[in-house]
Amino acid sequence: MSKTTDSSKTAKSKRGAFPRKGFRIFGLGLQDFIRYFFGGNAALAIVMLVLICIFLAMEAVWFFPQHHHEYRIYRQAGQEYVDLIGAEIDAHTRLGSSVNIAYLAEVNESSKREDRLINALMQVETAVENRTERLTERLEDARELIEELPEEIEDAKDDAEELAELQADLIKAQKEEQEFAPQWRKAAAEALELPEVWDFGVNVVKLTDNEKETIKEAALMAEPGFETEHPFFAALSEESKQKKEVARERLVAFKAAVDELRGAASPMKTLHGELRTIAMENREVLDKFETAPARLEALLEGIEATKDPEERKRKEEMAAAVVIETPDYVALTKPIYESQSKHAELIVPFVETVKTGWEKLPEVNSLETKAGRAKMRTAVSDYENFLRSTEHATKAIPEWRHDRPMSKVKTVLAFFVGKEWVTNSSWHEFYGLLPLLSGSLCISVVAMVLAVPFSVAAAVYVNQLAWWREQNFIKPALEFIQAIPSVVLGFFGILVLGTALRNLSHIESLSWVPGFPMSERLNMLTAGILLAFMAVPTIFTLAEDALNNVPKAFTEASLALGASRLQTIFRVVMPTAVSGIIAAILLGFGRIIGETMVVLLVAGNKIQIPDFSAGIGVFTQPAHTMTGIIAQELGEVDKGSLHWRALFMVGMILFVISLSINFAAQRILKKLHQSY
Amino acid sequence: MNVTMSETQMDTLKPESELTSNARPVEAGDVVIEIDDVNFSYDGNKDVLRDVSMNIAPNEVTAFIGPSGCGKTTLLRCLNRMNDLIPGAGLTKGAIRILDTNIYDPAVDSIELRKHVGMVFQKYNPFPKSIYENVAYGLRIQGIRNKAMLDEVVRESLTAAGLWEEVKDRLDSSGLGLSGGQQQRLCIARTIAVQPKIILMDEPCSALDPISTARIEDLITQLKTQFTIVIVTHNMQQATRVSDKTAFFYLGELIEMADTTKIFSNPSMRQTEDYISGRFG
Repeated sequence: MSKTTDSSKTAKSKRGAFPRKGFRIFGLGLQDFIRYFFGGNAALAIVMLVLICIFLAMEAVWFFPQHHHEYRIYRQAGQEYVDLIGAEIDAHTRLGSSVNIAYLAEVNESSKREDRLINALMQVETAVENRTERLTERLEDARELIEELPEEIEDAKDDAEELAELQADLIKAQKEEQEFAPQWRKAAAEALELPEVWDFGVNVVKLTDNEKETIKEAALMAEPGFETEHPFFAALSEESKQKKEVARERLVAFKAAVDELRGAASPMKTLHGELRTIAMENREVLDKFETAPARLEALLEGIEATKDPEERKRKEEMAAAVVIETPDYVALTKPIYESQSKHAELIVPFVETVKTGWEKLPEVNSLETKAGRAKMRTAVSDYENFLRSTEHATKAIPEWRHDRPMSKVKTVLAFFVGKEWVTNSSWHEFYGLLPLLSGSLCISVVAMVLAVPFSVAAAVYVNQLAWWREQNFIKPALEFIQAIPSVVLGFFGILVLGTALRNLSHIESLSWVPGFPMSERLNMLTAGILLAFMAVPTIFTLAEDALNNVPKAFTEASLALGASRLQTIFRVVMPTAVSGIIAAILLGFGRIIGETMVVLLVAGNKIQIPDFSAGIGVFTQPAHTMTGIIAQELGEVDKGSLHWRALFMVGMILFVISLSINFAAQRILKKLHQSY
Repeated sequence: MNVTMSETQMDTLKPESELTSNARPVEAGDVVIEIDDVNFSYDGNKDVLRDVSMNIAPNEVTAFIGPSGCGKTTLLRCLNRMNDLIPGAGLTKGAIRILDTNIYDPAVDSIELRKHVGMVFQKYNPFPKSIYENVAYGLRIQGIRNKAMLDEVVRESLTAAGLWEEVKDRLDSSGLGLSGGQQQRLCIARTIAVQPKIILMDEPCSALDPISTARIEDLITQLKTQFTIVIVTHNMQQATRVSDKTAFFYLGELIEMADTTKIFSNPSMRQTEDYISGRFG
C-alpha cells in the first residue's frame, strides 16, 4: 500500500479513515480484474455468435447475384431452350421405363416358380464358390490343362524337349486334378451345410426340404471346369425359357405398344442432341467472355510480382492474348431459333405416337402382377406429366428469347423452390433447396413421431412413477445415449439397423406395411429411427426437468383430495409442465434438424424430392439433407464459387431454422417460469 | 350438502365400513379418530413417534402443539396416509382407526381414505387453474361432470369458506391471482367441496398476515359444526382461540392431551407447563 512514510501519509489523508486496500492499477483492484475477466468471457461468446452470423450472412448473401448471373448466361447460351425440349424427353423416358418395367414384370411372372429355384441354385453356387475359392481356381486350371495339353502334345511331336516338358505338365495336372477334385467335393459339401449359404438376404426364397436337397445335388454336380448341369435344373431352365416365350407371345400387343411408345422420341432426341452440343459451345464462349476481365487482372497481378524478365515477357504475351470481345449473341443463338420450326414439326407426331401407343397398352387392373400394376399406376401419372410438359414446351418454345432479361424473383425462387440440386455439371448447375429441405423435414418427422412419445412417457414415468432405484438407473442410462458419438451411431445404422430393417421389410406377412418391402437399406426411416434415438436424451432430460419443476405442493394437494397417482399426473402435473414439455420437444427438433453425421451416413444421400404419392411409404425412400450436403460437398468446392456460396446459403437457412426453434423454446420456457 | 355425492362415493368405496356410511348419527362421546399406541418411523430404524395414543371426538377442533421436530406434523400426515409418499416410511407399531376402520389395513385404499380425510397445507397451494376448477377438482376426479351440480358445489364450498362474495365475479380467473389469505381459503373450499368427514390442517396460518389469520380462525370455528378438524399449530394463542382439545407433543411422545382451557390454565405435566409458559420451544 505504501512505500515511504511520506506517501503513506498523504495517501491516508486523501483516502480518509476507510482507505481501499490492496494493489491497484488504474484504480482497478484485483476484484475488478476478476470481474472483468469473467465478464469478458461471457462477452466473447456473444461476439463469436455475432461474428458467425455476419460471416455466414456475408458469404451467403452473394449467392443470389452470382446465381442470377449464371442463370442469365444459361438463357443467353440457349441452354434454357434446350432444357425445355430436354424436359419433354425426360418425361417421355420416365414414362417409357415405367411401362417397360410393367411389361417385364408380367413376362417374368409366367416363369416365377422356375426362376425362383434357378435363382436359389445360382446363389447357392456362388456362395459355395466363394467359400472354396482357391480350390475351385486350381481345379479349374488343372482341368483346363488336361483338356488342352493333349492337343499341344500332338503339335509338339517333333520337338522332343518340349514334348517331354508338356507331358510332364500333363501328368502334373492329372495328379493335381485327382488330388483337388475330392478335396473340392468335400469342401463344397461342407459349405452346403453352412446355414449362411442358404441365407439369401434380401431375395428371400423359401425352399422345401425336397427342393433344398435337389439344389444341393445340383450344386455338387457343378464341379469347376466341367459344364455339367443337373437334369432337373436343365429341364427347369428350359421350362422357364419356354414359359417366357409363351408369355411374350401372349403379351405381344403389350410389347408392341411399349416399343411404339418408347420409340416415339427418337427424332426429338436427335434434335435435342444437336441443340445441346450447340448450346454447350455457346456456353463455353460466354463463360470465357464473362471471366476474361478477372483472368486478365490475375495475369497483370502476376506480371507485377514476377522478377524474372523472361517469365515476365511470357506472361505479358499471355495477357496480350486475352481479348475481351463481346460475343455475337444473335449469331450464337441463330441455330437455336432456327430449330423452333423443326420442334413444332416434330412435336405433333411425337405426342400423337405416344398417345396411340398409350391407348394400346392394357388396363392397369388387367395386369396379373402386383409389381406390374404398381408400375402401371406410376405410368399413368408419368403420362399425365408427359402431356403437361409437352404442352408447356409447345407454348414456351416459340416465345423463347435469349435476350429477355432474367427475372430476379425467378432466380431467387429457383433456389428456394428449385427441385434439382445438380453440381459439377458441364451443362448448368442447379441449386434447388427443395430436395434437401424436404429430406431434412421428412427425416425429422419420422424422428419426432418416434422420439416424442417415447421420451415424454419416459420422463413422466421416471419423474412421477418410478421407484428411486429405477430413477437412478433409467436417468443416467438415457442420458448416456448422448455420450455415443454420432459417427458410431451412424456406423451401427448402416451395418445393423439398415440391414435388419430391410430384411424385416421383406418378410411376406409384413408386406401390408406401407413402404415395405424397402428397396434401399439406407433411407429416411433408418435415419429417422437413429435420430429419434439421439433426440431422446434431449427431450427426456428437459421434459423431466419441466416435470420436476412442478411444485410438490400441487401433487400433494391433489393426492390429499383423493386423486389417484395417474389422475394427479394427467390433471395437475402435466398441464402445469406442458410449456416446458413443448420447449423440450422443440429443442429436440432443433437437435434433430441440425444433426449431420448420422444422416450423412444413413439417409441414403440421394438428392431427390421424396415421392409423396407413396403415402406413408415415402419414408422408406432415400434422401439427402441440408446438413448432409454441406458436410459432403463443402470440402471439395472452390472458395468463392457459386457452389460454395450455395452451401453457405443452405447453412444460413439451417441456422435460421435452428435459431427460430431455440428462440421459440426460450420464449415458452420464460412464460412457464412466470406462471408459478 | 348433498346426498348424491355421498352415494357416488359409497359406490366406489372399499372396504365396507363406517367410512362408507353416514347412516348412523354421530353421538356425543363418539370417537372419530382413534390412535392406538402408534410408533412411526421414516426409515424403519429410528422412531419419530413413540407410543402415541389418543382419541379425537367428532365436530371438535383438536390442536397439536409442541416444539419443532416433536412429530406433530408427522402424526397429522399419518391420519390421511400422506406419509405413504415417502419411500420406507410407515407405522412400526400400533394402529390408527378412523370411523372404526384401521386405515393401515392392506384392504384400505388410501385414495378412498383421502376423500374422507381432507388436508389443508402450511403453504397455500391452489392449482394453476381457475378458481372454479380449483374447487371443482375433487369432484371432477371422482368423475362428476354434471355442470349444474358442479356449479352448486363450487358455490356452496366457496360460501362455506367465506370466499364467495370476493370471487363470485371472477371464478374463471386463476386461483394464483388471489391474495395469500384468499388462496388459503380457496384451498379450504377445495377441501370441503369433496365433503370429507375430517379436515387436517397443517399450520394453515403460518404463511399469512394477522388479518388473514383471524379470518381463517373464524372459518375454523364455523366449520367445526360440519367437520372434525385437527390442526397443527406453532402459535399457542391460536390453539387457545380455535381448539376444543389440545395435545402437547415433545420429542415424539404425546405428553398430555386435554381440554384446551385445562392445558393452558392448569396443565398436569411439568413439560407442558414449561412449554406453554415459554420456558423452551
